[in-house]
Amino acid sequence: MSDLSTADSRPFAAKTTRQGAGLHMTMQTGRVRSMTDAETISDLIGRVALKDRKAFSTLYQTTSPKLFAICMRILRDRNEAEEALQEVYVKIWQRADRFATGSATPIAWLAAIARNHAIDVIRARKPVGDTIDEAYDLADSAPTPEMQVELRAEGRRIDTCMERLGEDRATAVRRAYVEGLSYQELADLFSVPLNTMRTWLRRSLLKLRECMEQ
Amino acid sequence: MTSKGTKGGDSTRDEVIAGEYVLGVLSAEDRRKVESRLATDRAFAAMVDRWQSNLSSFDEAYEPIAPPKSTYAAIEKRLFAETALTPARQPRGLWNSIGFWRGFSLASVAGIAGLLAFGNGNVMTPRGTRAPLVAEMKGKDAPIDLVAHYDATSGTLDVTPVAAGADDQKSLELWLVKPDGKTVSLGVLPQTGEGSLTVSPDLRGGMTNGATLAVSVEPFGGSPTGVATGPVILVGAMAQ
Repeated sequence: MSDLSTADSRPFAAKTTRQGAGLHMTMQTGRVRSMTDAETISDLIGRVALKDRKAFSTLYQTTSPKLFAICMRILRDRNEAEEALQEVYVKIWQRADRFATGSATPIAWLAAIARNHAIDVIRARKPVGDTIDEAYDLADSAPTPEMQVELRAEGRRIDTCMERLGEDRATAVRRAYVEGLSYQELADLFSVPLNTMRTWLRRSLLKLRECMEQ
Repeated sequence: MTSKGTKGGDSTRDEVIAGEYVLGVLSAEDRRKVESRLATDRAFAAMVDRWQSNLSSFDEAYEPIAPPKSTYAAIEKRLFAETALTPARQPRGLWNSIGFWRGFSLASVAGIAGLLAFGNGNVMTPRGTRAPLVAEMKGKDAPIDLVAHYDATSGTLDVTPVAAGADDQKSLELWLVKPDGKTVSLGVLPQTGEGSLTVSPDLRGGMTNGATLAVSVEPFGGSPTGVATGPVILVGAMAQ
C-alpha cells in the first residue's frame, strides 16, 4: 500500500507503472459474495433499465451464451450470429425499462428479444410470402373428443399438449420455433405441399391453445 | 370459418396469427403488421404474450455457446462510443487521456512480441470484411489482453487493453486511493478501454491534486466485494 500512497504528483497519464501481477491491494475487508448468485437476472435487468453499465456487463456475461446459441441456431452463420448478438444487446440496453415482471420469466424475455431479432434477419435474407391478409382455413378446429379427456397432470402442460398433436406435427411446431423455419422450409422437410403445411401448423396452434387452457 | 371471419374480430384467427408470429413463420411484412397491432390492441397483445409464455419452454433446446470475446467490446462501442468522444464532459480528460492508454500500451509493448512469438495460430483473428479488422492478442498468464482495431479507411490501428483471464473474462476496475490508504471503487473500465465515468458526488472531494488512482484486475463486472481483489497493474497520481 505504501507505494500506492507515496506515488509522486506527476500527471497520471505520464506516471503509469506496471507492477508485478502478484501485488495485491490490501484494504478494508468486505463481505464476499458472488454477484451472479446473489442477484437474479431480473434484478440485473432492473439495474440495466437505470443505465447501470456494471449490471449490463454482468447480465451479458450471464446470458450471452444462451442468446448467442439462439442466434446461431436460427441464422446458421457465425458472423451473422455475432452481428445479431450485438444488436440484441443494444436492444436489451434500450428496452430494459420495458421488462415487466409477471408474464414472462426474465430469461424468456431476453430469449424472445434474441429470437425475434434473429427471425427478422432471416426473413429479410430469405423472404417468404405474406399470408395474414389471406383467408385462413381453420375448419376442423373444434376440439376433438380425445381432447376433451381430462389430461393427466404429469409433466409440463406444454409437453402433454405437444404429445397430443402427434409426432410429425409436434416436430413441425417445435422446429418452426427453435430453428425459425419458414412454412416453405417445413413443407420441404416433411415433403408436403406448402398449403398443407400451413393448415397443419395453424390447426396445431389451435389444438395447443385449446389444450393449454384445460 | 374460412370466409365468414369478420376482419378484425375473429378471435380464433387472431389466436392463430399470434401463434404464427411467436413461432416465427410469418413474412417480414406480416411481422411488422403484427407488431404495429400489438401497440394498440391489448387483447391481441395478450394472445401474443400467452403464446410467448407457453412456447418459451422450447428455449431449452438452445445449448449455450460462448460468443467471441470481442463481441462485448463491440456492443459497448456501439452503445457508449458517443459519450466517450465528448471530452467536454470531462475537462481534465483523465479518462479519455490518450496518454493514459498509450502509457498502458507502451508498458505492454514489450509483452506483445513475446505474446505473438509463443502464441498459437489463433493469436491474430481478423474477422469479416465489412467490419473493422480486429485482433485479440493474448498470452498465457498475462493479466490483460490487447485488442487491436484496424480502420482500413484511415489506416489507424488502435490498441486497447482488455483484462482477460485464461478461463473467464476479467474486468479492469479503477480505484481512488485515499490519503489514509483506503481505496474506493470509481467504477469498472469499459471492456473497450474507452469511455467516460462520472465520479459520484461523495467521492469528488477526494479527486484532488496528488490523489492516487489505481487499476486492478477483477472478475468480469468488477470486484464482487467492493474492495480490490485482484492484482494491481497500474498506479498513478493526478496532477494539474
